[in-house]
Amino acid sequence: MAAPLSRQKLLREWKLYLFVVPSLVMVLVFAYFPAASAVYHSFFEWAGGDTKQLIGLDNFRRAFHDQVLLDSFLTVSVLIVFNLFKMLPSILLAVLIHRLKSDRWQYVYRVLLVVPMIVPGLVTLFIWKFFFDPNLGVLNGILDFTGLKGVLVSVDHFFHWGIFYANVPIGWLSQPELILPSLFLWGFPWIGAVGVLIFLAGLQSIGQDVYEAAELDGIGPIGKFIYIELPLILTQVRLMLVLLIVATLGGYGLQLQLLNEYGGPGGRGMVPGLWMYNRAFYAGEFGYACAIGMILFLFILVLTFVNNRYVRIEK
Amino acid sequence: MTPVTKRRTDFSRDWTKHLFILFFILIELFPLYMMFQVSFKDNATFIRQPWLPTNPLTWHWENWSFAFHLILPYIANTVFVAVTGTVCSLFLAILGAYFFARHKLPGSRLLWAAFLALMLMPGVVNITPLFMLLKSLKLLNTLWALVLVGIAGGQVFSIFVLRNFIEDLPRDLFEAAEMDGASHLQQVFNVVIPMSGPIIGTLAILSFLGMWNDFLLPLIVLRDKELFTLGVGLIYLDGEYVKQWGQIMAAYFVASIPLIVVFLFTMRLFVRGLSAGAIKG
Repeated sequence: MAAPLSRQKLLREWKLYLFVVPSLVMVLVFAYFPAASAVYHSFFEWAGGDTKQLIGLDNFRRAFHDQVLLDSFLTVSVLIVFNLFKMLPSILLAVLIHRLKSDRWQYVYRVLLVVPMIVPGLVTLFIWKFFFDPNLGVLNGILDFTGLKGVLVSVDHFFHWGIFYANVPIGWLSQPELILPSLFLWGFPWIGAVGVLIFLAGLQSIGQDVYEAAELDGIGPIGKFIYIELPLILTQVRLMLVLLIVATLGGYGLQLQLLNEYGGPGGRGMVPGLWMYNRAFYAGEFGYACAIGMILFLFILVLTFVNNRYVRIEK
Repeated sequence: MTPVTKRRTDFSRDWTKHLFILFFILIELFPLYMMFQVSFKDNATFIRQPWLPTNPLTWHWENWSFAFHLILPYIANTVFVAVTGTVCSLFLAILGAYFFARHKLPGSRLLWAAFLALMLMPGVVNITPLFMLLKSLKLLNTLWALVLVGIAGGQVFSIFVLRNFIEDLPRDLFEAAEMDGASHLQQVFNVVIPMSGPIIGTLAILSFLGMWNDFLLPLIVLRDKELFTLGVGLIYLDGEYVKQWGQIMAAYFVASIPLIVVFLFTMRLFVRGLSAGAIKG
């Protein structure tokens, strides 16, 4: 840290303030102002126009009795658990690539991993929507082809689910019971290129000699993972965990495009962010939408603090 | 042992790992394969043979010409937004980071805290008031709305990364420049920017990707078809009632072409930048 500046130096360096002004103005106008406006308007009944009515805490009271919103928090918790599970393939793949002895192959696989990133995220989403199509979709095609459909039907018959029938195509995005399973299946095999590269960066500090020493001690592949690799990527895992939870909690683009603004049939895919979007842009209840945004913001804030306090991993 | 035989033994010793990795990567690339081969079929061919590519002589190239006509204007709009946004965003961020990294002027701690606090604020939650703000600024249905919000959104992260980087640059460089009478702006252009090429490149790619892929904000901001960015254009295409899958897949492919070009030129930055950025974060 530099020592406090003398008056003289301050007089000479004042122009430096001009450097930060543009960034500051942008951030104040497009981040701080909307945030303040959200807080302010969450106490109003406001349809987006010039007229608004102060209603105190009514928006929040309404939120606590809003069944859709309460259910949406349940749904988003399930999705968070799904997404935690979906981190595993990326970790596994990173470890596998790192254990390869040839640097050249490691590089080849890294590049191959990044290739799917050139497809816009939205396109990936729509291709999956196409995979889920009941009549033309790839998923039903694969299930028919491999005979897994028959297995599903007999399991259904045994448990009396009433979801899968032998001669009816499975409506992955149109049967309410299948919305959550579809949101789970989406993106299989769940390799996130960014995640894999981040884990690989963490693994980089392990040299081949460590592995050779472990082999001399007779430690198997699983032991190596637990004693050598996992401790080294814990920091990265934690980072991904936080990013993932925050993104899932606040996100709704996936649900909006894969399903619709009501979270699909039966609203099974409704998440808090989508309900906020729905209230603002489909129902014109901007005040209420701001209140939902506030509640969501508080959840994310608390999670971030809990994470910083208790989930810190010793280096 | 020659290098060639050594490489071969490496491969044969690790073949189970290679098998696993290839299995994952093939499934990961499967959507790309489907996109490519379906883009040359009409609906009838596709229903008859969904899996395998057809004979190249019977390929339906008109799908591609349809896609080009449909998508090119959207691409032009998106390129404008993403390029203008990225360049302006990084330029402002470099200036801001220089302010925080070089001198501790009174109030800089407070300003730093003001920037960091934004990291806690999830952008999506702000979308309702942001929409109203853009409306009162008369920016609705303009591409500038997307550029401005993109610039603002990129500031915190870029300044955070760049400040650390500039602080690590050797002090002597700045002192030598000061001796020569270089102003702060000259120091930014002659010392900071040449010295931090790779990190600026990585941040540029991340920011570009972010703006390229965004569709939530364009969806509520843009109304006129002439102004559509890729995201909104693709969403409208998805909403068509009767779907010509071949045309749609060709459109998806065309939509990916600019990123393929960017990727070809910056592959090393892509791969290395993402890994390196991760360590810092």
